[in-house]
Amino acid sequence: MAKPGDALLFSVTRRQVRPWLLLLNAAVATTGGLLLPAALADAVDMALSGTFVLVTVLWLLLLAATEIVGDAIGIVLAASITARTTARLRKMLSRHLLALGHPPRFAAGDAVSRLTGDCGNAGGVVVTLITLVVTVVSSVGAVVALALLDWRLAAVFAVSVPLAMLLVRTHMQLTADDVLAYQEVSGEISARLLDAVAGRHTIAAAGIADRESGRVLQPLPRLSSAGGGMWRTQAKMMWRAGLLLPAVELAVLIAAGFGILQGRLTPGDVLAALGYTALGMGIVGQIPQLTALERTRASAGRIAEVLASEVPDRPAPKPSGGGIELRGVSVEGALHDVSLTIPEGSFAALVGRSGAGKSTLAAVLGGLSAVDDGEVARDGEVGYAFERPALLGTTIGRSIAYGTDADEVRVRDAAVAAQVHDVLIRLPQGYGTPLSEVPLSGGEAQRVGLARAIVRDPEVLVLDDATASLDTVTEAKVDEALTTALPGRTRVVVTHRPATAARADVVVWLEDGRVRGTGTHAELWDDEDYRAVFTGGE
Amino acid sequence: MRFYLSTLAGHRRGVLVLLGWSTLEGVPAFFGGKLVGTAVDEGFAAGNPLAGVLWLLAFAALAVLGALGQRQVFARLGDVVEPMRDALVTQVVKGVLSDPTHRRTPDASAVAMITRHVEVVRDATAGVLVQARALLVTTIAALIGLATTAAALIWLVVLPILVALLLFGLMLPSLARRQRDAVMADERTAEASGSVLTGLRDVAACTASDEAGADIARQVDQQARATITVAWANSLRATVIAVGGFAPIALLVAFAPPLVASGRLTTGAVLAAVVYLTGSVNPALHGLARTTSTVVMRLMVALKRLQEVAPRDAGRPGDQVPAHGGFLLQDVAFGWSPDAEPVLRGLSLTLRPGDHLAVVGPSGIGKSTMAGLLTGLMAPDRGSVLFGGARVDRVTPAVRHHAIALIPQETYLFTGTVRENLALLAPWATDRDLAEAVEKVGAAPLLDRLGGLDATLGHAGEGLSAGEAQLLALARVYATSASVVILDEATSHLDPAAEARVERAFAQRGGILVVIAHRLSSALRAGRVLVMDGGKPLLGAHEHLLKTSALYGQLMLAWDPTHREDTPLPKR
Repeated sequence: MAKPGDALLFSVTRRQVRPWLLLLNAAVATTGGLLLPAALADAVDMALSGTFVLVTVLWLLLLAATEIVGDAIGIVLAASITARTTARLRKMLSRHLLALGHPPRFAAGDAVSRLTGDCGNAGGVVVTLITLVVTVVSSVGAVVALALLDWRLAAVFAVSVPLAMLLVRTHMQLTADDVLAYQEVSGEISARLLDAVAGRHTIAAAGIADRESGRVLQPLPRLSSAGGGMWRTQAKMMWRAGLLLPAVELAVLIAAGFGILQGRLTPGDVLAALGYTALGMGIVGQIPQLTALERTRASAGRIAEVLASEVPDRPAPKPSGGGIELRGVSVEGALHDVSLTIPEGSFAALVGRSGAGKSTLAAVLGGLSAVDDGEVARDGEVGYAFERPALLGTTIGRSIAYGTDADEVRVRDAAVAAQVHDVLIRLPQGYGTPLSEVPLSGGEAQRVGLARAIVRDPEVLVLDDATASLDTVTEAKVDEALTTALPGRTRVVVTHRPATAARADVVVWLEDGRVRGTGTHAELWDDEDYRAVFTGGE
Repeated sequence: MRFYLSTLAGHRRGVLVLLGWSTLEGVPAFFGGKLVGTAVDEGFAAGNPLAGVLWLLAFAALAVLGALGQRQVFARLGDVVEPMRDALVTQVVKGVLSDPTHRRTPDASAVAMITRHVEVVRDATAGVLVQARALLVTTIAALIGLATTAAALIWLVVLPILVALLLFGLMLPSLARRQRDAVMADERTAEASGSVLTGLRDVAACTASDEAGADIARQVDQQARATITVAWANSLRATVIAVGGFAPIALLVAFAPPLVASGRLTTGAVLAAVVYLTGSVNPALHGLARTTSTVVMRLMVALKRLQEVAPRDAGRPGDQVPAHGGFLLQDVAFGWSPDAEPVLRGLSLTLRPGDHLAVVGPSGIGKSTMAGLLTGLMAPDRGSVLFGGARVDRVTPAVRHHAIALIPQETYLFTGTVRENLALLAPWATDRDLAEAVEKVGAAPLLDRLGGLDATLGHAGEGLSAGEAQLLALARVYATSASVVILDEATSHLDPAAEARVERAFAQRGGILVVIAHRLSSALRAGRVLVMDGGKPLLGAHEHLLKTSALYGQLMLAWDPTHREDTPLPKR
C-alpha cells in the first residue's frame, strides 16, 4: 500500500548513481557468496583425495576475495548512500521549515525530532531495501544450490524451515508491555529530574539534594523490574531462536548423510550443504528489516507532511508615505478590528495587561506575522528586539550581524549603542566567542538582541518588551543610545513600565485585543484603569 | 570509566554466574565440528547410517544445551545490567542536583541527552556481555576443539587469526576517534537545528532564513562526512577480520593433501576443522569485531559524557554551632574570578531578628550574590559572614538549612500532592500550619482552585502560572521554622499588590527578612535598603538614601518620572 512518504523517498533517491553501484556490488558479492560453499566443498574433496590442485584452490581464493572486497565496498557505499540521502532530506526539510516562518506551524521539539530522527530513519531506505532484496536473492539462490547438490536436501530444507519458524514465532510480541512500561518509567524519571533541575537553587539552599535525588529516583525499582522483564522475555525468544538454525542444520545434515551413504554426495558436499543452509536461513533474520522498512516509510511520511504544508503568502506591506497605519486589523484570538496610525519618527508605547494582544500587535506592525483581516501600511525595513531573544549564528558577533553582511565595525557600534560592548569584549574570545560558550544573563541577552536590531539600521524599530530585564537606569541609557544611534526612526515599544510609557510620544493602550485608548502617558494616567495596568491596582 | 568498572565489579557474582552459563553456551562450538566429522567418519562414510544419525542427534542435543545456556545468560543479564543502570542513574541524578554552581545547567534537551546516554550504557553493557562474551567463549571453545581434532594444522589456523586480531586492535584507537567525531557531529546537528527551529521568530525578524539554512546545512554536511569516514574505518576493519577468518580455511585445504595422503588426517578431522572454522570461529570473529567497534565505542562516548555530570567531592561539612540568630557581615568582598571586577566589596552589615532589608541595584550587578553569601553556598573572598558568631559556610549543615530559607526566582515544584510540595521544607507541618501559610501569602484562592492539599500537581507545576507557582513556593517557606528568610526576586511573577502582601506577611512573621528586589517598591517597605552598584555598597533607610545617594535618587526617579512634580519622590 502506498504511503504519503513513498513518493518523497522515491524522488530523493531517483537520480542517484550510488544505489545502482551498491546493487551491482551486491550482485557480484552475492554471486561470490553463493559459489563459495560449492568451491569450498570441491577444495575439501580435493584435500581429502590427498592431491593438491592449484586451480581448485585459486578458484576458492578468488571467490573469497570477491566476497570480502565486495563487503568492504558495500559498507562504504551503504554508509555513503544513507548519509547523503539523510543530508539531502534534512536540508530540504530545514529549508521548508524556515520558509514556513513565524508563527511556527510545527512545535520546535517536534520539528527537531523530524529533522534529526525521522530524516535519519528515512535516509536508510535505499540500504534497507537493497539489503532485503539481496538477502531474498541469496536465500533463494542458496535453496537452488541445495537442490543442485541433491533435490532431497532442498526439500528437507523447505519443509524444516516453516516448522522451525513455527517454534520461534509465538514469542515475538511478548516484550511489548515491558518495553512500554520501561519507556514510560524512563520518561517519568527524566521529567522528575527536569523538575528538580529547575528547582536546583531551592534544593541547594535547603541542603536537600539527597532527599530530592530520592524523589527523582522513586520510580527506579519499576524501571528495574520492567528492564528485568525485558531480558527474561528476550531470553525466551533467544532460546527458541537459538534452536532454529541447529534444527534445520540437523535435518539437512541427516539428509546429506544418507546422500553420502548412497554415493550421491561427497564429504565435501556435506560442508556445502551446511553453508547453503546457513545462507538460506539468512532470510529469517530479515524480519527486523521489514520493521525497519515500515519505520522508514512512517518517518518519510512525517517529513512529507511538513513539506506538503503550504508556505503562506506574505504580501509586501502597502506604502504608507511615512509612519505605520493599521486599518481594521484582526488576528484570530488576539486582535479585533484595530485601527491606528503611528506617525513617522515618533516613539509609540504599547501597554496593557498580559494577554491584551501587545505582542501580536507588535508582530503585525512590522510584518512578522500575517493578519487575518484588515490592512497594514508601512515603509522601509523593520528591526525587531524581543524580551527573550533567541540568539542565533555561530559566534556572538555573528549573532548580532545575523542575516546581514554587517562588518565588525558596524557590529561593534551596535553593541556599544545597546550597552553590551563592555560585556562582550570580556568574553574569552571577544566577539569571536562561539555562541554555545557564552553564558549570558537575561539582561545581557536582551541587549545583544537590541544590538541585532540596531545593526540593521531599520526605518522602524519594534521593541517587544525588549528591555524588561534591564534595570530602569540601564534601560534609560539604552533608550538614549538608541536615539543617538538611530535618530528620527519610528519606534514602537511594548512595555510594562510607567517610566517608558512616560517617555513615549504616544501611548496605545490595549485591552482584550482592542484599542482602549491612545494619548500621552500623562493624559491617560488620570484613568484609574490605566494606572492599574502598571500598579496591579494597589 | 572507573565508576563503571567498579559498579560492574560490585556485581561480580552476577557476572560470574553469567560467565558460568556461557560456558554451557560454548559446548556446541566445542563439540560441534567433531560430532559432524565423526558422524561422517564412523557413520555415513563407513556405511553405518544409524551411527551417523545418532552422532548427529548428539550434535542436536548439544545445540539444545547451548541454547539453554544462552537462555540462562539472557535471563541473568538483568541481574547485572539493571542494577548497574540503577547505580548510574542514581549517580547522575545526585551529580546534577548536588552541584548548583554548574556553569552550564542542564536544560530539557540536556536531561534528555543524559537519559539517552544512560540507555546507551545499559544496552551497550548488555551487548558486550552477550555478544563479546559469547563470541569469545565460542572462538576459544572452537579453537580447542580444532586443536583436539586436527592438531597438526593448529598453527596454520591460529596464526592468521592472531595477526588479524592484533591488526584489529591496532586500528581501534583511530576507529574510536572517528566514531567520537561522528557522535559529536550528530550532537552539533541537533544543536544547530534546535536553536534555529526554536528561534524561528527571530530568524523571521532578522530575515535570516538563508543564513539559518546555511548554518544547519553546514552541520548536516559535516555529519554526513563524519559518518562516511567512520564507514571507511569500518570497511577496513571488516576486511582485516574477513581475511583473518578466511585465511585458515585456505591454508587448511592447501596444506591438508599430503597429511591426508600420509594418513595423518582423517576425512572426519578435515570436515571437523572446516566446520569449526566456518560454523563457529568465523561468525564469532565477525561478531566480535562488530561489537567492539560499534557498541564499545558508543559505550565509551556515553560514559565520557556522563562523567561530566558525576558528583564532585563536596569537601568536609562544617561543624560550628551558631550562638544566636543574627548575621554579622564584616568588610565582605566577592568576585566571580580574581581578575573580574568584584561584585561586592567593603560590605559591613548587621542583621538582627526583626530586621527587614531590601537589596536593590541595576540588573546583572550580582544582587543574588547576597543570597549566596547569606545561605553559605558561597564563601566571601575577603571579610567574613558570621551567623550567630560562626562562619555561615562552616555551620553544621542541618542547623544552617533549618535556620536559613531561600526562595529563588525559579520555583521548585514537583509531581505529587500540594501537601507534599508545601511541606517540602517542613515535613512536620500540620495541615493547619500549611493552610495558615497559604492564607498569609495570599494563596488561599489558588489552593481552593487546585482542590485543596490533596490535589496533585503535574510536572513542573503544569497548569499553574509562573506567579501561582511562586505563591506556592512562598507558602512553603512561610510554613518552615526558618528564622532567616531570603526572597531572591521570589515575587517577580506576582503583580505589585500580591507582592506587597507577601512581603508584609514575611515581615510580620518575625526573624530576619532579606528581599532581593525585583521592583523598587520593595525598598519602600524595608527598614533598610542595600544599594549595589558594583562599587562600595550603600546601606541605609529609604529616606536617608534619597538624601545622600544620587544613584538611589536616580533609580527612584526612573521608576516613575511622571509625577515628579506633585509627588517629588516616592514615600513610604
